[in-house]
Amino acid sequence: MDNESCVKIITEWDIVAARQLGRNVAKELGFGSVDQARITTAISELARNIYLYAGTGEIEIDRMYELGKCGLKVIASDKGPGIHDIRKVMEDGFTTSGGLGAGLPGVKRLMDEFSITSKVGEGTSIQVVKWLR
Amino acid sequence: MENATRMIEFIQANRGQLLQEWVEKMSSMDEQKLSTVITDQVYTNVGDEYINILVHDLINQDKQAKNKMRDFSQKLVQLGWNLNFIMDSLMEFSKIMFFHMVGEASEKEQIEFGWAYDKWVTPINKEVLNHYASSWQRTVSLQKIALQELSAPLIPIFDNITVMPLVGTIDTDRAKRIMENLLQGVVKHHAQVVLIDITGVPVVDTMVAHHIIQASEAVRLVGAKCLIVGIRPEIAQTIVNLGINLNQVVTKNSLQKGVAAALEMTNRKIVSVGE
Amino acid sequence: MNGRIPILKLYNCLLISIQWELDDQTALQFQEDLLSKIHETGVGGVVIDLTSVDVIDSFIAKVLGDVVSMSHLMGAKVVLTGIQPAVAITLVELGIHLQDVRTALDLEKGLETLQRELGE
Repeated sequence: MDNESCVKIITEWDIVAARQLGRNVAKELGFGSVDQARITTAISELARNIYLYAGTGEIEIDRMYELGKCGLKVIASDKGPGIHDIRKVMEDGFTTSGGLGAGLPGVKRLMDEFSITSKVGEGTSIQVVKWLR
Repeated sequence: MENATRMIEFIQANRGQLLQEWVEKMSSMDEQKLSTVITDQVYTNVGDEYINILVHDLINQDKQAKNKMRDFSQKLVQLGWNLNFIMDSLMEFSKIMFFHMVGEASEKEQIEFGWAYDKWVTPINKEVLNHYASSWQRTVSLQKIALQELSAPLIPIFDNITVMPLVGTIDTDRAKRIMENLLQGVVKHHAQVVLIDITGVPVVDTMVAHHIIQASEAVRLVGAKCLIVGIRPEIAQTIVNLGINLNQVVTKNSLQKGVAAALEMTNRKIVSVGE
Repeated sequence: MNGRIPILKLYNCLLISIQWELDDQTALQFQEDLLSKIHETGVGGVVIDLTSVDVIDSFIAKVLGDVVSMSHLMGAKVVLTGIQPAVAITLVELGIHLQDVRTALDLEKGLETLQRELGE
């Protein structure tokens, strides 16, 4: 069975699709209801960011098996404008969309691991992982 | 390997003396001895077992050898010997071996011996120390689980009023579990007011305060009100000194006052029944 | 894909029970529908029940928060009820506070709260 699945983010509906996929995989792996909510919400935030800032992109969801631990990894990537100042973006309260902009610091808090690479003019890739407790 | 054979033969031939010297050395090194009643017998037993491992090793590099090493490490953990002491003792043994076998020999022979002995013994010692380390890790995770099991129960005291007494240190992991438990309990008990009693929480630093604030926010979202009670004077001082802002959270200084406030919030109060 | 969210009237209140996962469009449509209904009926209170909602991300939270403020402007008080523990924890961890929003455990308590406030 495939250990990874992908959702291309092109329309608003894809955000919902990505959420559903995330929730299903999380349930499958055995995450509790609260962690399912955390994972699904984090995916929604990441997918929405792609939709708002890059136009199109992709959400990849992988099942992870490492050293007896079981987990879920999400890779949100796009070929958008890239992030100029990563540190600023990781500050709490920073928002460009005028929305509640929970933003990346919020996503980081919901997950166990967080990493981001971005190049102006080339795109952004954000990886987050949640491990089964 | 030939060197190892030579060394093992030597050990077997001079076991008694080597052991005695080693035991004396360990005994003098051990600071713990001053406080506990450890007789030399313990050192002798440990030393004996180690020598057995060394001797056994060459002959059978097998599962039995590994088991012996694991048992040995476990014994060290149970004895409560700390890592420094163990490493020093093992080194002492090599020194003793060194002096006995090549103490009078030429420098060249000494160096050769040093290399050979090191090459032989290092893997063995490494294995012992590895087992020791994982044994410790296992103990730590068991303790962690035990701490987590120290649950924070939810106690409904009146209709719609529930108390959650928190006891012990609250780290992030525990805080998460407590929050989940709290919210599910609020929904289950139809609590309108929750009193979180932190009398039993020894330290409230920024992290703990953060967790408490988060918990009360989540309770509010779920549809109930949250009161924090049991803030001791020291805690109050720490909170202000650290600059933590608890203005969003309603606090009362004792569980009694908290209960009275909770009753008021739910349109009730306690009255004496006439004598 | 999903239809519009049904809005029911009960005396001086509007009751809404959100039964499925909100996508962006449905959420915005709901905002519009609710405000017209408040205008149409002139009710003083609104209860929005979120018991069946499993995920509230920052966008949906903003829409809900806006709905509350907009309804206030139109003279109606709003209570959000039935927010699930998992959802509450996630919102709090995300850093979304939804301040100045009344909440209640369930539909019943929500109505009681409104009735008290509206002085009936």
